[in-house]
Amino acid sequence: MLATACHLIASVVAVAATAQGPPAPQQASAPQPVSVVERMIDRAAPGDELRLPAGVYQGNLVIRKPIVLDGSAGVVFDGLGKGTVITIAAEGVTVRRATVRASGQDVASEPAAIFVGAGRAVIESNTIQDALFGIDLRDAPQCRVRGNTVRSKPLDPERRGDGIRVWSSHGTVVEDNVVNDARDMVFWYSEDLRVTRNTVTGSRYGLHFMYSHGSVLDGNTLDGNSVGVYLMYSNRITLRGNHLRNNRGASGYGIGIKDCDDVTILKNALLANRVGVFIDNSPTSIGSTGLFESNLIAFNQVGLLATPSTRSNVFTGNAFIENEEPAAAHGRGRLMGNDFARNGVGNYWSDYAGFDLDQDGIGDVVHEPQSLFGAMLASEPNLRLFVHSPAQQAVEFTARALPELRPESTLIDPAPLVAVPQTALASAGVPAGTNRMAWLAGAMLAGAAALIAVMATHPSLGPISRGAPA
Amino acid sequence: MSTIAAPASAVVPTRPATPKPLSCVARFAGREFRDALASKWFLLYTVAFTVLAVGVSFLSLSGVGSHGFAGFGRTAAGLLNLVMLVVPLMALTAGAGSIAGERERGTLLYLLAQPVSRTQVLLGKHLGLSAALVCSLCIGFGVSAGVLAWRAGGVGVGAFAMLVAFTSLLAVSMLSVGVLISVVSRRTAISTGLALFVWLTLVFVSDLGLMASSVVFKLRVQELFGLASLNPLQAFKMAVIVNMNASLDVLGPAGAYASQTLGGSLPWILASSLVAWTLVPLGTAVLLFEKRGSV
Amino acid sequence: MIRTTGVTKRFGPVEAVSSVSFELDPGGSLALWGSNGAGKTTLIRCLLGVVSFKGQASIGGVDVRRRGRHARALVGYVPQELAFHDDARLGSSMMFFARLRGVGRARAAESLDAVGLSGHERKRVRDLSGGMKQRLALAVALLSEPPLIILDEPTSNLDASGRGEVVATLQRLRQAGKTLLFASHRPDEVISLASRVLVLERGAVIRDTTPAQLWPTEKPVQVVRLYLTMASESAAADVLREAGHAVHLNGHGLCVAVPRDRKAEPIAALARRQIEVRDIEILDDIKTPEAGR
Repeated sequence: MLATACHLIASVVAVAATAQGPPAPQQASAPQPVSVVERMIDRAAPGDELRLPAGVYQGNLVIRKPIVLDGSAGVVFDGLGKGTVITIAAEGVTVRRATVRASGQDVASEPAAIFVGAGRAVIESNTIQDALFGIDLRDAPQCRVRGNTVRSKPLDPERRGDGIRVWSSHGTVVEDNVVNDARDMVFWYSEDLRVTRNTVTGSRYGLHFMYSHGSVLDGNTLDGNSVGVYLMYSNRITLRGNHLRNNRGASGYGIGIKDCDDVTILKNALLANRVGVFIDNSPTSIGSTGLFESNLIAFNQVGLLATPSTRSNVFTGNAFIENEEPAAAHGRGRLMGNDFARNGVGNYWSDYAGFDLDQDGIGDVVHEPQSLFGAMLASEPNLRLFVHSPAQQAVEFTARALPELRPESTLIDPAPLVAVPQTALASAGVPAGTNRMAWLAGAMLAGAAALIAVMATHPSLGPISRGAPA
Repeated sequence: MSTIAAPASAVVPTRPATPKPLSCVARFAGREFRDALASKWFLLYTVAFTVLAVGVSFLSLSGVGSHGFAGFGRTAAGLLNLVMLVVPLMALTAGAGSIAGERERGTLLYLLAQPVSRTQVLLGKHLGLSAALVCSLCIGFGVSAGVLAWRAGGVGVGAFAMLVAFTSLLAVSMLSVGVLISVVSRRTAISTGLALFVWLTLVFVSDLGLMASSVVFKLRVQELFGLASLNPLQAFKMAVIVNMNASLDVLGPAGAYASQTLGGSLPWILASSLVAWTLVPLGTAVLLFEKRGSV
Repeated sequence: MIRTTGVTKRFGPVEAVSSVSFELDPGGSLALWGSNGAGKTTLIRCLLGVVSFKGQASIGGVDVRRRGRHARALVGYVPQELAFHDDARLGSSMMFFARLRGVGRARAAESLDAVGLSGHERKRVRDLSGGMKQRLALAVALLSEPPLIILDEPTSNLDASGRGEVVATLQRLRQAGKTLLFASHRPDEVISLASRVLVLERGAVIRDTTPAQLWPTEKPVQVVRLYLTMASESAAADVLREAGHAVHLNGHGLCVAVPRDRKAEPIAALARRQIEVRDIEILDDIKTPEAGR
């Protein structure tokens, strides 16, 4: 017993001495029970910084004292598949640079890697693996969740827990986290949140707001989820400079907005989602608006989809580029209750067929898209099987040739832009892989040349090569 | 001269050996390929396809700067439309001219009078024209891949490669249909006309008909998907999209149904539809060409 | 070399070839004689196995229907008019067929040389004269040195000099022991090349005979004696030999064998070369230039 204690103290000293260096590799020493850490916490004074020695600590840890727990030496907390791995039960606790893994899997008790049940916690730079819920804040205001990496358990998406859940925790900052293959990063009943530069992939809803008002979502990347950002019953939300792409699950919205007032959607890039923006009955209150300004909405199946009851949204300076359907009403109906221009500035539509004789940057005829195929899809969704085919073009061509077949337009943009506006997509230069594409190009041309060389060489008789008759 | 003026005693000269079947096929393939390379249609199609493919690549990239990752998806969609229009036309007309052209020029009889079989002639021609078509496609796609590499970056290299592969398969299958048309037609004009008719049917008529049937008869999604995948062009389109998106949900309920029920075997099923469109017409062409015995 | 039994080919209700049976021994030379539409060309196509037909046909004991490729390997075929791709060059076309028949470059060059086409390898097929095309066809037919040559009116599109060249070449082939089967509608050719004639009418063989029996009294060939200046005699003989005529100089002018209905042909041939003929004499004694054995 005494020997163990001596050994522990020695390791703490040793680790503290090397703490400024790179994290030591995880030592092959045998796993220890988490009670070892509890005793260290018991000995520490409030506000102390505990640099744990490298090793695997097994069991469920509860922190009841405001301390800093630093796992940079190569510390692993392993819940052994039971319950919540770390529970924070005191205000002002910091847990950083630790690996936290193997929570329980029982959905009813919602076990997490790190449960925060008190305010002003800092959860920073942890790596979370194999946890049903990743970081779970409940009634924990003014927390900071930063730079963590979360991966859920290998379950079906609907059986996974949330990567990060913020419940009734006002004023919390969630930034620079990476969540892969979880359910949602979800915010319930929380206000004045800052959600910045997080990346969520392979999950259900990238960022999911429920009854959480007055928050800013800034510079997040939501890639390959079922839905990128889903706002529900949340007012005064600002989405700015987020990247929402390849969100094409069953719902498949880049941004979904349901019953929200006064949202501002500014300079986001919505690319290659099933639906770029889906608006369901927002805004709901009379006198409130939704503002969509300077977004890049490109390559989606449907750029903007809204329920026919939707009105009082303003769209200005957005670029709708090469969406299969730029804008459509959900089911039958039109989007006439919304404004597609503000102060004489409309949006850029890549399917705009008008012109700009006076060269003021605004098209001289209003934009009234009329797609017969789009109208057919609204009533016969099965026909979507035929998109991207010459038959689709034939249908549209027919509608152009026969005015009586033309459907009503879904929207009117009175001041369409003729040039792509300044949308704030900060896509960094040419993406990686250029060389591979160049290689492919080279390989194909070389293949063609080789084919010609092999197939087209044929000996011919000529005066020089002619063999002499015997 | 000396070999001809052999001594009169050699009344029964040694018998020349029959050439090997595969080498005959290779000879005809080579000849067909060289003829194609020298011909106007090949040049015209290659130039047209290259210009259109590069044009589509440029257009789809214009206005969005360098968002290569999405640029490819759009390029692919544009290329898809282009391929579905142009490639079957190329392949069907090339195939349609193959036998009928030789027949009309009178060269077919002369070829068949050599120690070769009809099957060898037909397979050789198919092989040579396939190589020519693939060569033409590689040039067009290669140049447009170069444009993409330059302007957009290379995300989607695998998808692009699959697009090229499936386009080649589509070309070869449409060539088989063209060769079949050629075998049953007496004249080039007739076979070209038939080829255009088949092209029109596959590209427009069958899809529009299926669209109408879907609405009128309220086809279920599985029926709609099944019927659509019988059309080689639709099978091609779906195969490309599956390889690009790992799912067919962009194609609405019918596509989502196919993805869910068929899962990982979906690309294989679609590819096998194209392979069937290659082998069945070609096999029929061989049988008819052998059996009818016409020159 | 050839054996057929009851070869019959129908085009719809019409029997183009009607139960033709014959045998041809190695080294023999058989002419198919008949008017246009008598079935000569169709019979040849049956023998080559390129069209379907009823009955039996074999070449060198090889069934042309079941083992057509092997049968055709024994045959050199010369069509009425050479059907090469017009754009192709002579040399590369030759090599194509050489490789198809599995013979090498040296043999191809030799075969081309044998018909006097060396040096024309870079020419395109469309630029060749009719005679050159037929010689090219012969060169292709001879590539693999097949024992049997089948010709379908090989001279019908040629002028007199072209005909002469082809006939002379075929006579050499006969002497070399090749078996010949050819269709023709020119008695002089049949007489000078064939040892046997099948007369076809509406697809059926109505006579199996020899040229001498077929034209016993018609004396189709006459000898014309041409009187020229002494200086031009040997040049004229060369010109006429080149044009395919059988010529001999005997000190009393040039004796030329010509078909009965083309007596003026040698004079015209000489006139084209600016050689003047002083006088002519048509000899009464008929000599049939029976070739070969």
